[in-house]
Amino acid sequence: MPSEAEEIWRYVELDLDLADFSLPERNGTPPPELSRLAAALPEVSGKATVSDGAVVAAEGGDVAVRPLLEAVGEAPERVEAVYGSAIPVEHDIFTAAHHAFASDAVVVTVPRGAAVPAPVHVTIAAVADGGISFPHLLVDVEDGAEASVVVEYVSQGDVRALVVPHIEVVSGADANLSLTVVQNWGYATTALAQARVAVGRDSAVRIAEAGLGGSLSRLHLTVDLLGRGSSAEVLGAYFGEEDQTLDYRYFMHHVGLNTHSDMFLKGAVEDEALSVFTGLIRIEESAQRTDAFQTNRNLILSEGAAAQSVPNLEILANDVRCGHGSTVGPLDAEQHYYLMSRGLDGARADRLQVRGFFEEVLARFPVGGVAVPVRGWINDKYVRAQAAGRV
Amino acid sequence: MTPALKVEGVRAKLGDLEILKGVDLEVPFGEIHALMGPNGSGKSTLCHVLMGKDEYAAEGSAAVGGREVMGLDVDERARAGLFEAFQYPVEIPGVSLDELLAEMGEAAGRDPHEFGDRVERAATRLGMAPFRDRAINSGLSGGEKKRSEMFQLAVARPKAAVLDEVDSGLDIDAVREIAGLVEALRSEELGVLIITHYSRILRYMAPDRVHVMIDGRIVRSGGPEVAEELEAKGYEELRAELGLGPNDDGADPYADLP
Repeated sequence: MPSEAEEIWRYVELDLDLADFSLPERNGTPPPELSRLAAALPEVSGKATVSDGAVVAAEGGDVAVRPLLEAVGEAPERVEAVYGSAIPVEHDIFTAAHHAFASDAVVVTVPRGAAVPAPVHVTIAAVADGGISFPHLLVDVEDGAEASVVVEYVSQGDVRALVVPHIEVVSGADANLSLTVVQNWGYATTALAQARVAVGRDSAVRIAEAGLGGSLSRLHLTVDLLGRGSSAEVLGAYFGEEDQTLDYRYFMHHVGLNTHSDMFLKGAVEDEALSVFTGLIRIEESAQRTDAFQTNRNLILSEGAAAQSVPNLEILANDVRCGHGSTVGPLDAEQHYYLMSRGLDGARADRLQVRGFFEEVLARFPVGGVAVPVRGWINDKYVRAQAAGRV
Repeated sequence: MTPALKVEGVRAKLGDLEILKGVDLEVPFGEIHALMGPNGSGKSTLCHVLMGKDEYAAEGSAAVGGREVMGLDVDERARAGLFEAFQYPVEIPGVSLDELLAEMGEAAGRDPHEFGDRVERAATRLGMAPFRDRAINSGLSGGEKKRSEMFQLAVARPKAAVLDEVDSGLDIDAVREIAGLVEALRSEELGVLIITHYSRILRYMAPDRVHVMIDGRIVRSGGPEVAEELEAKGYEELRAELGLGPNDDGADPYADLP
């Protein structure tokens, strides 16, 4: 089991016994209707459902959305070349287990030159109590293609599950992709997710994550800006409630010339919740004329809550523009006074401040329809904390 | 008749520093009063103490339309009919002015329909329509921020309004505009106390009375001629006349140089 002594696991104590979990039977039973986003996405270009790691439904159109075996049948060489290539086996015990046990995947292929306005909605559910599962999503965006993918993680509140999802995204040249992850695990679920996005020449990716659920939810994200002129915008909004741990390890890796990145994450923690953001921008010697920025802002809403925010830069090139900022603190007192002077009571003023704090990032979420329920869920979490007198 | 604002014996400290040393002031309904004074005399502190900002230890009495507000929370004072227009309106990114107005209406228990109409009318009159969807005070010029304060005042319909240096940092056109807005708010349901360092805004409006504050006390009150007198003499001469001695804080450190 990884320990806090390793930098990549610092600040988070893993209280897991793998013997408590077992691989669920793959009977292909679709999960109960767990999606909480379907109503917010009335139009989709395709959808898929993964239940305990098995693909139970997949349906595409202009965008191909297929289970792994079908995708292999269609394009064996391509799938073999990219599937499982992004996230190294040896990264940690969980990635090794994923490589060993993942037997299915959703493969999304956006064909060359296709411009697909509506998002592809992939629901990844954990259903079996005591189950460990290895959901896998591969997004292959060919040259000149444009698409957006929304991934929704869900489990019911009492499902004690361990989930190790891997998301691999490969973009060709001149492509445009957005990937939105809505993490809505039940509060008994532990998730240790990996995502890796490779960006080709003159391509732009936008990645957004909303961190809401999970007892411990971790996302290790690596973006490789490989192609010349490629760019990435990475957004995050997370709210840790009660004793949740929300853990983000983000790596922005500039390899190509003239690449751009902007990370902007905002989070709040209340009660005894913990959040971690460690962000590393690494600019290789080859990545001259690069801009890279990262900002992480955190609200501490209760005395027992904590947020770790650790931005880092590693710059090997000399012709670059970089910046990073990190803050951890309570709600702004001057804003609070101003709002109360307008007749808003303290609780109402706080709610408005929390809403405003997150709005700065939610307004930039690439699929606007997703931001609507996320706003509501964050507000619900804050209102629950207020009602319980914890904030 | 009950005044819009009645302040009696208000004292305030910030830590060990006594800033207000017993302020008495009365603004009747329908009137606009100006409170003038040099930097550091306690004008802005009086605004914040009346509104109930918690960093000050305050005592004394302040009644809004006859209701004592000292000891109340900030929001209760607002709902009792007191409004503070800020010298430095704070930016609240991510919250639009419209959202704030809706919350104000709800907090005050207004009928949403009637309140909505009021917002529309005030927005049209003050040219605030383009700012309603924008984040509160974010990226606004100094003049736009002050206009937004006046807009919120018009929507809130308080009994007493304290305008803290609404003219500071504005060019002359904006000063004239704000003065016009203040005059336009004059009504029998409202008393206004406008706080200013300079008399220039008073050229564009007709204050009923002018009060001068020095060292945390009102040292002179009178008609508009008080502002003219101050303009002519300056605060230092007034200090000398009143036997207050020179103000060390505001003293010119190079006064003795040739």
